[in-house]
Amino acid sequence: MKDLKHLIFFEDLLQEANNVLVQQAQQEGKVCVAYVCENTPEPLLNLPGAFSARLRAPRTGSMEVATYYLTSFLCEYTRALLERAMEGGFNFADCIIAPDGCSMMNRCVENMELLQALGRDKPRFFHQYMEIPMKADDNGLNLYTLQCTNHILKPLQEHYGIDISDEAIRRAVAEHNRVCELIRAIGEFRKSDPAVITGYEFHVITLATYVAPKYLLIDKLEETLEELKTREPDKKSPFRARVLVVGSEVDDTDFIKLIEDSGAYVCGDRYCCGSLPGRDPIVLTEDEDALTQICRQYMLRGQCPRYMNTDKMQGRREYVNKLAREYNADGIIYEQMKFCDPWAYEKMLGAHVLREDFGYPVLAVDRPYAIASSGQMRTRVQAFVESMEIKKIQKGEQHG
Amino acid sequence: MAKEIGADRLGDLYIDGGKVRKRREWRGLVDTMYDYSRWLKIMTILGKFVMKPRNVKAMFRYRWMANYLAVPMMVDRHTQGLRGEYLRMCHVEQDLIIDDVAKLLDNLFRGDRRIGNDTEFSKKVVLVDENEMTAVMMGFPMLKSLSRETPSTYVSVLLNQHAAEHYIDVAQEFGLAGDVCPMPEAEAGVSIDDDAPVLGACAIQCNTTCDGSLLGNGVISKRLELEDGIPVFQLAAPLRHREDDVQEYAAQEIRNAIAFIEKHTGAKWDWTAYFDCARRVNIATRCRQEWLDMNRTDYPQVFGSNLALYTETNYMAICGRIPAFEKADRELTRLAEKAYNARKRAAKEYRHRAIIWGVQSHFYMDFLVWLLNCWGIVPLTDMLSMVSTRVLAEEDTPENRETAIYDMAWLTENMIMRNRTHGGYKVLLDELWEFCEMFNADMVVLWEHMSCKALTGMHGMFEERAREKGIHLVWVTHDLFDPRIISRQGVRDQINNYMRTVMREEPLDPSLEILHDEESW
Repeated sequence: MKDLKHLIFFEDLLQEANNVLVQQAQQEGKVCVAYVCENTPEPLLNLPGAFSARLRAPRTGSMEVATYYLTSFLCEYTRALLERAMEGGFNFADCIIAPDGCSMMNRCVENMELLQALGRDKPRFFHQYMEIPMKADDNGLNLYTLQCTNHILKPLQEHYGIDISDEAIRRAVAEHNRVCELIRAIGEFRKSDPAVITGYEFHVITLATYVAPKYLLIDKLEETLEELKTREPDKKSPFRARVLVVGSEVDDTDFIKLIEDSGAYVCGDRYCCGSLPGRDPIVLTEDEDALTQICRQYMLRGQCPRYMNTDKMQGRREYVNKLAREYNADGIIYEQMKFCDPWAYEKMLGAHVLREDFGYPVLAVDRPYAIASSGQMRTRVQAFVESMEIKKIQKGEQHG
Repeated sequence: MAKEIGADRLGDLYIDGGKVRKRREWRGLVDTMYDYSRWLKIMTILGKFVMKPRNVKAMFRYRWMANYLAVPMMVDRHTQGLRGEYLRMCHVEQDLIIDDVAKLLDNLFRGDRRIGNDTEFSKKVVLVDENEMTAVMMGFPMLKSLSRETPSTYVSVLLNQHAAEHYIDVAQEFGLAGDVCPMPEAEAGVSIDDDAPVLGACAIQCNTTCDGSLLGNGVISKRLELEDGIPVFQLAAPLRHREDDVQEYAAQEIRNAIAFIEKHTGAKWDWTAYFDCARRVNIATRCRQEWLDMNRTDYPQVFGSNLALYTETNYMAICGRIPAFEKADRELTRLAEKAYNARKRAAKEYRHRAIIWGVQSHFYMDFLVWLLNCWGIVPLTDMLSMVSTRVLAEEDTPENRETAIYDMAWLTENMIMRNRTHGGYKVLLDELWEFCEMFNADMVVLWEHMSCKALTGMHGMFEERAREKGIHLVWVTHDLFDPRIISRQGVRDQINNYMRTVMREEPLDPSLEILHDEESW
C-alpha cells in the first residue's frame, strides 16, 4: 500500500514524551496534565486551557535506577516511567493525576513524588491520587464524581485557574468526541479484508491521540480519514489470519508490528491505549450535569480487570467476543505485561472462557514493556497463525 | 535439658530432613507438665474432630486436610524455648485458635454438599474471604460466617510449609503467570482444582490486600456463582482509606453488603448483637494497646508470634463475634502484666529491638521465635499487628447506629495487611519510622515478599530512609507461600549473613543458625 501521508508525523510524535505538539500547546500557554491510567476521564484533563498527555517512555533502555527503587518485580511500564521521570523526561508536565488503578502504578507515581522527579521549577505543580470505583453501580458513580471533583477539577482550578464549569466540561467533551469519531471512523477500515490500514498504522495514530494535545491533531486525522477512503490495498495480502489483541497497556508500536510481521493482521485493539473502548465518544444529554455523565460512561464501558463485580467480569469476555465478531477476527491474542497482577488473572480466565465458551483460538502471552524484535514472541505468534490456518483448512475439508 | 531460659541448644532437637523433632523440649518439671497437658488438650480437640464420620470423609476428599495431622507440631514450633508466662500466653492463644479452626472445619463439612450436606445449616452460612474483615457479620449472630480459604490454604501453610505448592502449580498449569502473589494464587488453585467445600446461602468477597487478591476472587466467584449457584457480593473497600472523601462510599458498601446478606439468608440485622461485638472489639483493642505499650519498655511481653498470629485471628476473623476471645484477651493481659511486674524476659539476652515490617513468610511464622532464640533480636511488633485502634461506638442509640456503619467500613478498609499495602506511602513507609521511634527500635527486619508489588514498590525508599535515620535495615526476601523459591534456611541465612558480616555478632544459640528443616512440618 502507498504510505499514509502523515504516518511519519504521527510516528515522530511517539519518539518523545515531550513531543512537538506538547511543546506547541505549552507555548500557547496551556497547562499539561500528565496521567498514567485509562480510568482517568480524559475530557476532564482537556478543559479549556489544559491538555492531557498520557505518560510513556519511548525508546526505553536501561531501567537500573528505577529497578533499585521498585525492584525487578514491578512491571516494566512503571519502571520505565520512573526511570524516565528521574532522567527529567517528564519535566514538561504541569501536574500529574494518578488513580490507584493498580498498586504498581500507584507506587511508581509515589516514588516520583518522593524523589521529586517531576515539577522542577514549577511552583504550581501538584500530584494528585484518586480513588476510582471497583464496581459499576450507583455507589461507584457517586465516588467517581466526587473523586474527579476533588482530585482533578478543584486542583486544576486552584493551581492554574482552569474553568471547571459544566459548560467548559461540555466543550472539552465535544473536542474529545471529535477525535474519537475520527479514530473510530479510521478504525472501521480494519473490518474489510483486505484492509486499507494496517494494525500498526492504526495503533500509531491512536496512540498519538493519547500523548499529544487533541486539538492539534484534528486536521491531520481528518486528512488521514479522507486518504483512507481512496487508498488501495495490496494486491496480495501479507497476512494469513486476523487477530484481536486484548490485554494490558500497549504503548509499544513495535509489539503490534511484530505480530503483523509474523503474519497476523491486528484487526482490533482491546487494550489500554487502544481505541476499543478508549475512543468511544461520550454521549451527553442536557438533563444531567456533564461530569456525572462522563463518569458513568467511563465506569460502564471500562474494561479494566480491577472492576470486580461479576457482571463486569462476565461483560469483559462478552465484549471481547462482540469485538471479535464485529472485526471478523480469526483468533484472539491475550497479552499482559510481565508482572501485571490484574491482567495475569484476566488473561488466564479470559483465555479459557474465549476458547472454551466462545470457541476462538486463543494465544496467551506475557511480554516486556518494549519488545523490540523478540524472536521468542515472533515464534509464538507464527505458530499461532499456523494453527489458525490449519484449523481453517480442516474446517474447509469438513464442509466439503 | 534445663529449666532456665536459653540453657538448651534448641537446634539439637531437629532431625536432619525429618518432619518432626527428636523429642519434646524439657522446660523444667512445672512448665513441661503444663506444656504436656496442653498437648493432651490439643489431641483431645483433634480426637473429637475425627470422631465424626463426615470429618473422616472430608480427610479423604480434600487434599489439604492431610496437613492437619501436623497441628501439634505447629504449636511446638511456636513454643520453642518459652517458659513461664510466655509459654502460657502462647498456649492460651494457640489452643483457642486451634479450637476455632476445628469448629470452622466441622461446620464447613456439615454444610458441604459433598460431605455432610446439611441443607438447612447451609442456608445459614455466609462464605467470607480468608483475608477479609468479618465486620459485616457482627450483627448476624443467627448466621455462620465461614471461610473456606482459611483452612484450605492459610492455616495449611502454617502447619505444613509445602501445603500450598500443589495449588500454586494447579493455577500456573491453568495459565496464571508465575509472578503473582502465591496466596491468592493458591486460593485460586484450590478453586480451579474444585477442592473447596461447597455450601452457603451466599458469599461476601472483598478486595482485600492487593490486586492479586482482588483478581483471585474473580476465579473463585466464577465457580461459586456460575457453577455452584451461590450468589456473591463483592464488597469494594476503598484503597485510599485514610482519605475523608472515600468514607461515604465505604459506608454505602457496608449497607449494601448487609442488605445482600439479609436478602439471601432471610436473616435480619441485629443491633444488640452488633454492639456486643463492638464492645468486645474495643476490649481487644485496649488489650492490644496495653501489650504494645509494654513492648515500648525494656520488658516487652506479648510479642513475636504470640502477638502476630493471635492479632490476625482475633482482629479480622473473629471481630468480636466469639466471646471466648474476650476471655483470652483478658488472660493474656493478666499474664503479660504479671511477667512485666516481675521484669521477666523471654530469652537469656536481648540484643536488638526490632520492628518486623512487610508481609511475613507464611510457611515460616515461627521465624520470630527463631530471631529471639538464635540472635537475641526482639520482634517488638510487626506490620500486621499495627492495625486500627479506633474505638467503636458500643452503645445502641440512633446516632450510634449510623456511626456503626462507618465503624464497620473503617474496619473493613483497615483489615490486616491492606491497611498498610493500600492507602499511600504514608501508611507503609512513613509510619514505620514513627513506630521505630515509639518502640525505641534499633533494627527493622523487612520481609520482602517478592511478589507483593505494594511492598517491593517502596524498596528503594525504605533503604534511603533507613540510612537517613541510622537504623539497621535487614531485608528478608521470601515468596510467602512457596518455600521452593526461598526455603526456611534461605530466610534464616539472610539474617545470619547480616548479623555476622554487618553486626559482627555471634549467635546466642549457634545450633539454630543452620537447620536442615526443608522437609519439616
